[in-house]
Amino acid sequence: MSVEVPLAWKNLIHDRRKLMVALAGIAFAVMLMFQQRGFNHALFDSTVEIVRQLDGDIILINPARFALSNEIRFPRGAIDIAASHPEVLAAEPLYIENVAARLRREGRRARPIRVLAFDLDKTLFLDADDSISSQLPALREPNTAIMDRLSKRSYGFDLSSSATLPQSGELSGHRLNIIGFFQSGRDFAHEGNLIMSLENFVQYFGYRALDPRDVVDLGVIKLRDDSNADTVVASLQNAIGGNVRVMTRQQLIDKEIDFWARNTPIGVIFTIGALMGFVVGVIICYQILANDISEHMGEFATLKAMGYRNPYFFGLVIRQAIYLAIMGFIPGLVLSWLLFQFNSSMTGLLMHLTLPRIITILVATILMCVVSGLLALRKLLAADPASLF
Amino acid sequence: MIKAEIDLDSLIDSWDPAPDLLSVNVDDLNHYYGEGEMRKQVLFHNQLKVRRGEIVIMTGPSGSGKTTLLTLIGTLRSVQEGSLEVLGSELNGITTADTNELRKKIGFIFQAHNLFESLTAFQNVKMATELLGIDSATAKPRIEATLKRLGLGHRIHYKPKSLSGGQKQRVAIARGIIHEPQLILADEPTAALDAESGREVVTIFQELAKEQNCTILIVTHDNRILDVADRIVSMVDGNIRSNVVVKRNATMCQILNEFPIFQKLTPQAISQVADKMDLRKYSPGQEIIRQGEMGQEFFVIGRGEVDIEIDGKRVNSLQEGAFFGEVSLIKQQPRNATVRAKDDVACFILDKDEFQSVIDSSTTFEEELRKAIFSRQ
Repeated sequence: MSVEVPLAWKNLIHDRRKLMVALAGIAFAVMLMFQQRGFNHALFDSTVEIVRQLDGDIILINPARFALSNEIRFPRGAIDIAASHPEVLAAEPLYIENVAARLRREGRRARPIRVLAFDLDKTLFLDADDSISSQLPALREPNTAIMDRLSKRSYGFDLSSSATLPQSGELSGHRLNIIGFFQSGRDFAHEGNLIMSLENFVQYFGYRALDPRDVVDLGVIKLRDDSNADTVVASLQNAIGGNVRVMTRQQLIDKEIDFWARNTPIGVIFTIGALMGFVVGVIICYQILANDISEHMGEFATLKAMGYRNPYFFGLVIRQAIYLAIMGFIPGLVLSWLLFQFNSSMTGLLMHLTLPRIITILVATILMCVVSGLLALRKLLAADPASLF
Repeated sequence: MIKAEIDLDSLIDSWDPAPDLLSVNVDDLNHYYGEGEMRKQVLFHNQLKVRRGEIVIMTGPSGSGKTTLLTLIGTLRSVQEGSLEVLGSELNGITTADTNELRKKIGFIFQAHNLFESLTAFQNVKMATELLGIDSATAKPRIEATLKRLGLGHRIHYKPKSLSGGQKQRVAIARGIIHEPQLILADEPTAALDAESGREVVTIFQELAKEQNCTILIVTHDNRILDVADRIVSMVDGNIRSNVVVKRNATMCQILNEFPIFQKLTPQAISQVADKMDLRKYSPGQEIIRQGEMGQEFFVIGRGEVDIEIDGKRVNSLQEGAFFGEVSLIKQQPRNATVRAKDDVACFILDKDEFQSVIDSSTTFEEELRKAIFSRQ
């Protein structure tokens, strides 16, 4: 059995103070990358969060509605056609008002808010913790709504868990009582959300149509458990015709994210941000590794004189890079998680720290350190043992 | 006649070792630095033969090329011109793979100890055994024994920070010798050490040379350690200016001191002459000098017996310790006799020009002395 002298590790941990500084630097770069990617994901996640919360396999939407915030609706008739399809368990309309809905609290400016409305006898939201369904009876009262806890604070409502209820305000010129909360999130186009009964919705936004119930924003369709969503989408599209688009919920989510990714510089901005984090990390990591190499130039040159060859030094530096990456990643991850909590509560954006995203950043961190390792390696390969004499 | 206590036989036998006994054989070696117009020659037609087990000290002012020569021998630079054989391998045109194999037979000891601060003495030495693929179980007792032998038994698992300068250098030596190299190249190994530590280091070198027949080349300015050298090579301006086998030179000086013409010389001058002496061997019946020819050399018989013939008649014979050939050189006349080897003969030879310069310098020496005394008033 042969136990090699762990030179890479020993050299790395020899100077604890330096190591701490190094790890702090790498953790900072990790945090920067998490933060930028986090915002990027958060902005996209937030735009589709409401769709994710819908309890439906298939969604009907006007084909001209390029984004959810773009209020182009379709006639209710399409939903009735869908409801008659043998594979469909239920087809329900969801009504949304955004631009015209303005919420005001006394002493504050009126601000637009997204209002979601549906038939309270049906379930449209997944609502795993029953936070919506438990409040349905109260929502049947006139002039009532429940408010998204992640709505902007500038509306002037107390959204904390210790808030007293009801809180009254004005929605589009009429009195409104906030009688409870739910949780969704805000995005570029929406600063907050309200849920109310269809009856109340008709009262506030009667001008939508002769019968406001006749124009629908989204159709939420539930299928039988044994149905294949893709085949149903095709046959429904066939039955309904080209004026209404039929798509799976995931297709709508992808389309929405794709729209924001294509039409806003968000993706580019945050990718650049994350890249800068990467570059900062490369520079910090390079400094550490290059410094370590130049401090040990004599020793490394001695190893060369003894007969150690370049592959050994390659392995040595890469190993150090990976140790640094992993050791720096852990505090970076913990700090990022804390920061995500803070950001989420400050901005209402949804900062999800999912495993695939963690793995992505871990890979980026290792890559970052390996790149700087390779840069630093050139210095070591140039070490000339003849210069020792 | 030469005194009986002078060991002529061992002098003759060790004079010109067989090629397979050589550790280093430098032949007409040139080296250049720089390219194109900046190309500058730093080594000029160097010759050097180092026997196995010899301790060689190389001295010379900085920039004299001794370090270049050492790095060439250590395979740390590529040979450009000439021949350089190290441990039987020709380095001119050697492949990288062979270089790496050769390096494993060489031990390097530098002025700076170059130990990893993060590793213990044991681990630093172990780095050398790993390279050779010695497994840990075999390496452990060997490393411990080597460190103990170097007086570091109680410091095996200490890091360099907790060791004194001499101890660090001894760890570096342990690292340089753990693989039992056949050739050790040391650059100023004692420069950073006090007298006592320096003495310990060179004592270790002597033991290695004696016990393992290891050849040791030391570049140093430290004249405190000159006494360990078997050979002292001094370089000036890219040239080996003098290459003295210390013991041989001493014996040679003793021999020369027996002759009146050399007795006037200062010890330094006589040592220079001794250094110029060459050895030549003759088989029985072979003619050494011929009557009537102009004399070119001065001879001292190291072994055997010669006949002196005048006009084809044997008039006398000379034996071991006798000299001949000086008359023709001093008087600038043709040889007045033929000298022929009677049996196997070995002669120490001094070239005419060298001989002449001895005669000249012995007078200059006297003049110099007179002037010195005169100026003393």
